[in-house]
Amino acid sequence: MNLRPKQTYVSSTILWVYSSFTLFLLSYMTYQAFRSKKELLSNTFGLPETFNFANFKKLFVEADFLRYFANSTWILVATLVIVILLSSTVAYGIGRYQFRFKSVVLLYFLIGLMFPVQLGIVPIFLLIRDLGLLNSQWGVVLVLASGISLPVFLLTTFFEKLPKDLYESAKIDGAGEWTTFIRVMFPLASPVIYSICIIMSVQIWNQFFVPLIMLQSDSNRTIPLMIMKFSNNLMYNLDLAMAGSVMATVPILILFFIFSGKVLEGMASGGVKG
Amino acid sequence: MTWMRKRPFLWFILPGFVLYTLFSVYPIFSALQISFNRWDGIGEKTFVGFDNYIELFTNKELFGQLTGAFRNSVTLFLLNALAVLPAQLYMAYLLYSGIRGHRFFQAMIFSPQFIATPVIVFMGTLIFDGNIGVFNKLLETVGLGSWTRPWLGLPELGIFVVWMMVAWSGIGVGMIFFLGAMKMISHEVMEAAYLEGASYWRRFFSIVLPQIKTTVLNMLILTYIFAMTMFDFSFILGGVAGGINRSVDVMALFFYRIAFGDNSAVGGTMNVNAMGMGTTIACVMFAVIFIVALIQVVLTYRRTED
Repeated sequence: MNLRPKQTYVSSTILWVYSSFTLFLLSYMTYQAFRSKKELLSNTFGLPETFNFANFKKLFVEADFLRYFANSTWILVATLVIVILLSSTVAYGIGRYQFRFKSVVLLYFLIGLMFPVQLGIVPIFLLIRDLGLLNSQWGVVLVLASGISLPVFLLTTFFEKLPKDLYESAKIDGAGEWTTFIRVMFPLASPVIYSICIIMSVQIWNQFFVPLIMLQSDSNRTIPLMIMKFSNNLMYNLDLAMAGSVMATVPILILFFIFSGKVLEGMASGGVKG
Repeated sequence: MTWMRKRPFLWFILPGFVLYTLFSVYPIFSALQISFNRWDGIGEKTFVGFDNYIELFTNKELFGQLTGAFRNSVTLFLLNALAVLPAQLYMAYLLYSGIRGHRFFQAMIFSPQFIATPVIVFMGTLIFDGNIGVFNKLLETVGLGSWTRPWLGLPELGIFVVWMMVAWSGIGVGMIFFLGAMKMISHEVMEAAYLEGASYWRRFFSIVLPQIKTTVLNMLILTYIFAMTMFDFSFILGGVAGGINRSVDVMALFFYRIAFGDNSAVGGTMNVNAMGMGTTIACVMFAVIFIVALIQVVLTYRRTED
């Protein structure tokens, strides 16, 4: 069946122009990152006189890029692990068992979808402060990991759709509730968990608001906050902002382009049912 | 113990319930409670009833900032709803119909989603900066040198510059959601319409759009919530003050400024009441979101009943 429009020239052109613009922006930034600060400021569009890795060297040696990278990575991994553990158990509890007020419990876990973390940040801030976790990455991890509404929703839908025989046969084999969950159900849910990992990773990795409020000393901060520090004073730090932006962007995008089919599939599954 | 053993689901739900309640649900109620107090976050709390709300809406400076921020947030929502959303539908439909190069387009259009906001704002600077910006250079090259401006520093353009960055970074998400929804439409229906001679765009308006209208409505509400709580773009671009003449100020930034930022411009009363007034603003934002969300739920509910 031919679903295509007869004349695609106009639409094609629009998409080509738009995509080229994005591609241009990325390449332009990458290109400029290899030039010296002096040249960038005084001869932005001229032919490059110097073209080397000096800015990147400065980023790694003087600006300690790896520390920000480690901070971001640690927050991402810890949050992701907690989110997956908590949301899969909650979803299994709701999806697998029949009990009174089941729909109320599910609704309770879903209201978080409507209210972003910004609204409750003052009490969260006070809570984290009272726990002594201010300026600690654990504070950020706990706050971000509590946002389990979307994963719970996706996984509950999955567990509810599983045929009841599956639970029954596992039971007959004499497996306990937890063994069944860990050995059978959790692995079964891995495609959904994979989607959740992708959706959440992007959110956590680029999270700006929570780390900004919780992490006050520079040594604890994440990559987005590092970039902001540099780009706040472009006259002085243009070279670092350039190299930092490239390091924060290009490797991830290359990964995305390689796996884009699977990644986009995972992303879409978060929206269709919502 | 046996009571718990008979209800194994409780053990499964409990850990998630605790963390979720503590950091996602409790803060909303706690914010409401704090908003009835005068409090700097450290010293004694004094209960003042609705005084904070009254002050927010009667103090000239505060109310001016509130309306300014609200206007910008609404502008952002309208631009997203009226320009970005149709563009997302348009792009999704083109990709859905398998236009040549659709995999490439899909990846390119979605890719800014992976870029952190500070980098996006920095890229915006590379284009629109008065001195090193590509856009001014482009204008000069085509002979429009007199049109060059320091685009990021013009208060009258403030929120539109923010919007352009927001749109570029976020357009792919809605597009992918719409594309996913379109792929769920049964092939028979599309084929039947095709065989009956319905044109390309006729099929879009008569079949595709009605079939995915729930997704569109959901996207609309997400767009609204986003506009009301968007913080990072404005903060990075305009700092805690919200730019020149607060031109990029939005609701979440106004809230941040009162609760955590410097309050010198507002006068003496704010510093000692940062938490009280901050939560008051958060509660107003909460109400503004809740009302619209409620309307949407009612609308969707009524439609399914028909």
